[in-house]
Amino acid sequence: MSEIKPILSALKRSKTGAILLVLQIAITLALVSNAMSIVFDRLDKMTQQTGYDEQSIISYLVVTYDKRIDKAKQFDEDIQKLKELPGVIEALAVSSVPLTRSGGSWMLSTDPDDLKGKSVDSGYLYGNHTLVGALGLKVTEGRDFTENDVVYDRKKEYPTVAIVSRAVANALFGEGKGLNETIYSGNNAAKVIGIIDTIKSQWPKSNIADNLVLLPLQDSTAYQKFVVKTTEHQRAEVMNKIEPLLLELSRGRVVMDVKALDKSKADTYASDRLMIKMLISIVVFLGIITALGIFGLTHFNISKRTKQIGTRRALGARKSTIFKHFLLENMVVTSLGMLIGVIGALLLGRKLMGVYDVPPLENMSILLTAISMIVMSLIAVLVPAQRAANISPSVATRSI
Amino acid sequence: MLLHYCDLAWRNIKQTPFVSMLMIIAIGIGIGVTMTTLSVYHMMSADPIAHKSDKLHAVQLQVLDDGYTWRTEDDVPLQLTYPDAKYLLENSPLEKRVAMLKSGAAVHIDRPDSVPFIEGLRVTSRHFFELFDVPFLHGNVWSESQSKQAALVVVISEGLANKLFGKTDVLGESIYLGERLHEVVGVTKTWLPTVKFYDVNNDPFEASEQVFVPFTHIEAYKLPSWGNTNGWKSEDINSFEDFLNSETVWLQFWVEFDSESQKRMYGQFVLDYMTEQQKLGRFNRKELDYNLKTVPQWLKYNYVVSSDNKILVGLSFMFLAVCVANILGLLLAKFMKRAPDAGVRRALGASKTQIFSQHLVEVALLGLLGSIVGVLLAQVGLAGIRGTMSGYDLIAIMDWKMLLIAPVISILACLIAGLFPAWVVCKTSPATHLKVQ
Repeated sequence: MSEIKPILSALKRSKTGAILLVLQIAITLALVSNAMSIVFDRLDKMTQQTGYDEQSIISYLVVTYDKRIDKAKQFDEDIQKLKELPGVIEALAVSSVPLTRSGGSWMLSTDPDDLKGKSVDSGYLYGNHTLVGALGLKVTEGRDFTENDVVYDRKKEYPTVAIVSRAVANALFGEGKGLNETIYSGNNAAKVIGIIDTIKSQWPKSNIADNLVLLPLQDSTAYQKFVVKTTEHQRAEVMNKIEPLLLELSRGRVVMDVKALDKSKADTYASDRLMIKMLISIVVFLGIITALGIFGLTHFNISKRTKQIGTRRALGARKSTIFKHFLLENMVVTSLGMLIGVIGALLLGRKLMGVYDVPPLENMSILLTAISMIVMSLIAVLVPAQRAANISPSVATRSI
Repeated sequence: MLLHYCDLAWRNIKQTPFVSMLMIIAIGIGIGVTMTTLSVYHMMSADPIAHKSDKLHAVQLQVLDDGYTWRTEDDVPLQLTYPDAKYLLENSPLEKRVAMLKSGAAVHIDRPDSVPFIEGLRVTSRHFFELFDVPFLHGNVWSESQSKQAALVVVISEGLANKLFGKTDVLGESIYLGERLHEVVGVTKTWLPTVKFYDVNNDPFEASEQVFVPFTHIEAYKLPSWGNTNGWKSEDINSFEDFLNSETVWLQFWVEFDSESQKRMYGQFVLDYMTEQQKLGRFNRKELDYNLKTVPQWLKYNYVVSSDNKILVGLSFMFLAVCVANILGLLLAKFMKRAPDAGVRRALGASKTQIFSQHLVEVALLGLLGSIVGVLLAQVGLAGIRGTMSGYDLIAIMDWKMLLIAPVISILACLIAGLFPAWVVCKTSPATHLKVQ
């Protein structure tokens, strides 16, 4: 460790270069670790299990403006004809499409009076008894809807049974409970016959991401959404056939938004993808700039000290000693930068968390960034250090 | 003198092409990243109706009974109930007010080759065009009596007129909205505010509607809302009439005030109405509350500029700081190498100030060149954003203000980087450099 002393005194003499390096490393560390923390968080959210069979579901919307069309009858015919297409497994009318950020939500309660009892905000989704299967969901506890449960056209009465997500059941009745309990929305009561563990609502990015209630209710409205389940490899084919087929069956309506569910999901997360892309480009550019900076400054520090190095060599220092000197010097500077950077990163992380909706900074993210920066700075210093080691002792004796 | 310095600077840049290139690229990348995020932020937060944004006010009533909460920071719903909107519209002490909502319909015309397509509808009272300065190309808004009778009239944009009829002067022509035939009474000029400030329910960056029909159509033709419809308490709603009279909030309301006193007077009007309604058992709460928010307040209240965007702007300025530190190092190296030249110039009579400013001019020139690289990079970045996000066509662009600000930021950043190296060069005494030669 006898090398440390000359390094410190050398650094003292060329403070500016060292300070600049420390500053760059510190800011880079703070910035990159926070950016990567946000990236990991978004990636995590985007790849969460939704419970739906995203790759084999199509959704579309039919707007019927011709009042002469008997919608219930027409939709029955539509679905029957759709199911005759090769590759179509199931098709049904739904109140809204999961993961699309549009649909209905309501306040659910354990008591008809919402100010008494526990209540929870939840999305709702209804369709006939094929709803759960068509979406590729699995009822974890209890049973699926049967044909007898289904209420046709809301006018008569409300369904008396419901399947809820685990999150809703937990919020209303406590961890792991809820099966066979009754949920209320005003005076409408429904018995919980099934609970689904893995399911997302129409708003997978909101605070009611996991809250969803499924109801056996088939409606035929002028603005009706549909879901079609196909085999995975025939989906694209079916998608192209939907609009022409339906318009051939009946005019007086518009078929629109024919969309694959995974595409809908991707649209919902478009802003997150953009954020990830932006952050990654910032990180990559920053990596390049900082590497260049470390390279340039080390280079500069060495060229300024050519004579001193020559003198040291003339006085008997080995090439390896000079090489080690610069490697170590770089280490000292990098570590100092890291130290300040970690503190900066934590402060920045806390600041971002306080002002914006940003997850807490993960230590893992700081550690990974720090390691990659050490590797980077080592690589950046290798060439200049090698050059310094090759400085001939004779320069020390020249031109004085 | 400045020209001479510029000439010197240019020669110096050419003398060390590699280092100069490095610096230009470094500042260029920094400016590119910063301008990309800053442009989006600028467009998102730009006042969409600057000349009257402090006169226009969004009206909110606290309709929730005590004990209920809402998603807004002050628990006041963003929209109004139908009875409230109707009362405020019909009994308003001020002329300039508008009640409205978004609906939609299949649009087509009476020609065999016309294929119906879906358009968003703005169902609105007459003063929409006056309040938000939507200019008419032909005709005008429907009359008061047409509005009262819920006459089947419509105002469309010139873009839609062209799409349907291939011309803009289509007064007297008719278009189908769903199954109803409407007579065109007005054609508006293209009106595309960067932010759809008057209704931020769905996507604040979606395009404004192209079709406008009278507010009275809601009741007459049972028009559904294509925006948000939010109930806050459980009610038995079994018919459209029940729905109209319910406590569900689903309408937007705006007023224009010409003075503070008008605003106070209007506030009193709203309070009086709510007090009156309390006698009927509504507004069941200890303290009555309402909001009148100007356009900028409204956009802020609705978090129109996403926090993602603010974070990106902050991070990109930190990024720029790293670029500055980098350039500082490079400049130091470059200037130190050339210190002997400066020594000679000093010995020939140049003052410290002259040496100092000469070097700063060189740095500023680098900044200027860097900003060109930066603006080009930012265009690439913005094009990428437009590709990723639908609806950002008016948002992810660089307007002339940003174009002018780019070189300013760039030169400023370079000057900050150049101050110290220039100072180091000018303070070294000429003797040190002359000696060795």
